[in-house]
Amino acid sequence: MLTILLGVLEEGLVYAIMALGVYITYKILDFPDLSVDGTFPLGGAVTVVLIIAGVNPILTLFISFFVGAFAGILTGLIHVKLKVRDLLSGIIMMTALYSLNLRIAGKANVPIFTKDTIFENAFLDNLVPEALKPYLVSIILLIIVIIMKVLLDQYLKTKSGYLLRAVGDNDTLVTSLAKDKGIVKIVGLAIANAFVALAGSIYTQKSGFFEISTGTGTIVIGLASVIIGTNLFAKRPYFKVGKIFKNIFKKNYYFKATTAVIFGSILYKACVALAIAAGMAASDLKLITAVLFLIILIISNDRKRRVKAND
Amino acid sequence: MKKLLAIVLVLALAMSLMSGCSKKDDGKITIGIGQFAEHPSLDNCREGFLAGLAEAGYKEGDNLEVLYENAQADGGTATQIANNFVAKKVDMICAIATPMAQSAFGAAKDTDIPVIYTAITDPVAAELAKDDKTPNGNVTGTSDKLPVESQLEMIRKILPNAKTIGIMYSTSEVNSVSAIEEYKAAAADYGFEIVESGIATAADIPLAADNLLEKVDCINNLTDNTVVSSLPIILEKAAAKNIPVFGSEVEQVKIGCLAAVGLDYYDLGKQTGAMAAQVLKGEKKASEMNFQIIDQAAFYGNSAVAKNLGITLPDDLVSSAKEMFDTIAEQ
Repeated sequence: MLTILLGVLEEGLVYAIMALGVYITYKILDFPDLSVDGTFPLGGAVTVVLIIAGVNPILTLFISFFVGAFAGILTGLIHVKLKVRDLLSGIIMMTALYSLNLRIAGKANVPIFTKDTIFENAFLDNLVPEALKPYLVSIILLIIVIIMKVLLDQYLKTKSGYLLRAVGDNDTLVTSLAKDKGIVKIVGLAIANAFVALAGSIYTQKSGFFEISTGTGTIVIGLASVIIGTNLFAKRPYFKVGKIFKNIFKKNYYFKATTAVIFGSILYKACVALAIAAGMAASDLKLITAVLFLIILIISNDRKRRVKAND
Repeated sequence: MKKLLAIVLVLALAMSLMSGCSKKDDGKITIGIGQFAEHPSLDNCREGFLAGLAEAGYKEGDNLEVLYENAQADGGTATQIANNFVAKKVDMICAIATPMAQSAFGAAKDTDIPVIYTAITDPVAAELAKDDKTPNGNVTGTSDKLPVESQLEMIRKILPNAKTIGIMYSTSEVNSVSAIEEYKAAAADYGFEIVESGIATAADIPLAADNLLEKVDCINNLTDNTVVSSLPIILEKAAAKNIPVFGSEVEQVKIGCLAAVGLDYYDLGKQTGAMAAQVLKGEKKASEMNFQIIDQAAFYGNSAVAKNLGITLPDDLVSSAKEMFDTIAEQ
């Protein structure tokens, strides 16, 4: 039982960082960014090359972050400067990154089992007591996720973050504030892809090897997490999580969108684990994802229709 | 209504997660078999593995329960499968093909579930074993190193005047990339030049095949999961141009390759099954067994294909063949 829960938590947290990136592009910028299928393994490819070269694993996290930001800038440039549609610029980057990732990693499968990673190194071996070892991965992931979430929340409160939200809702506002909406979009894409590449780096260090095919389907997992999270947990009064807190603390408590996305990611992975435990073939996972997606979307849309009818 | 639905969903989720963890203790051994892709060579491996286990006394249904999952060549699914086996606390994981073995190794690392792999071309490169063949953990198995020299020798015998060999491979399969390097290194000794054609996905194969067939005297196959799964297309195009296609394994010869010096994946699986039985019986630990290489390659030929191409297979090869086929089977 515990193994399953820990597994779900670990997977959910790794993908939560990626989901935060997809949240930025899909929800805030209103830009469906398919390049994440290429940026996720980009983080992984960069990481294995650096780790094999002996670079400190924590440093590889930072480097992957910036490499991902660079990839995001490229997507942004294609969209803004070359005037390619959002969906297509993402697809172009995703396709280009397949070849680039192979070049960076050198081959399609690069193992780092014998090397130090952020989850397995001498420092941790000395520091952590035996009793905590099974939870070590979850704890490290939790720390990283919380740091990234707080950073993102703080960023969204800044002027730059405000512009990001403005460009997604009503980009005329941005122009009327004498800011270049193109630059704002590029910044948003850079940050989002940085998050995704970071997630890719962590995922590769956790798996112990880089495999070129692990990027496929990243956007689907990200979107599922974002949609499940924001529809079930975020500032929507119909889902009565807030009510429980209201009764205890005597005030309304709603989850921030970023927290909701993290929960969404964990919940999505829980559903997948549930489906496998129930005996579904691993190859049916995509069908399960689609059905889950649809159910969540129907639940949320339903509510919207009701509100309209009451007007 | 919505709240009720949400509560019911959460309860159902919680209950199912709980039910997943209870392990039936009925004295049966449970083995999780994870296969990376679906094609006849890997299928043969799996069947051989089960046969090997049966020979050692572990019969499915009697004292053995088998959980079989196929990752359909998707890396993410492979990891999911491995994690699932570990969560279900199986007694052993059998991983077929490199990405599956790596996922299984990563998932089972902190547990005492042994991992037995098969159909891995280079366990040392996959970091499942050290340079001296000793295991890198509680993991061991068998390796199917391609008999490159024997294959080149055979091609030279069958086609004394051929100059170029075309090899199509998938850039996402590292075993293929290393095999190509070996071929290139050895080809000159037999008077051949290797023309390689890398593809990214199965969808690229038809065009790449057309392109390759323009430039070469014959085509050779590696144990590349992606290419082998689409072999019928390549065979059709090559037959139209009267260009022979050599295979790497018996199943490929059955469906239309001219000949192969290949491994018998069924035997490979059986040998793996025997190793697994040793671990299950407690005779040896997986971490104490070096991986074993199969290099008993045998010649397989297809006389129907030879007739279509107007080629006569040399008598010495035919008489030493492990199996000759005289029809082209429908895939």
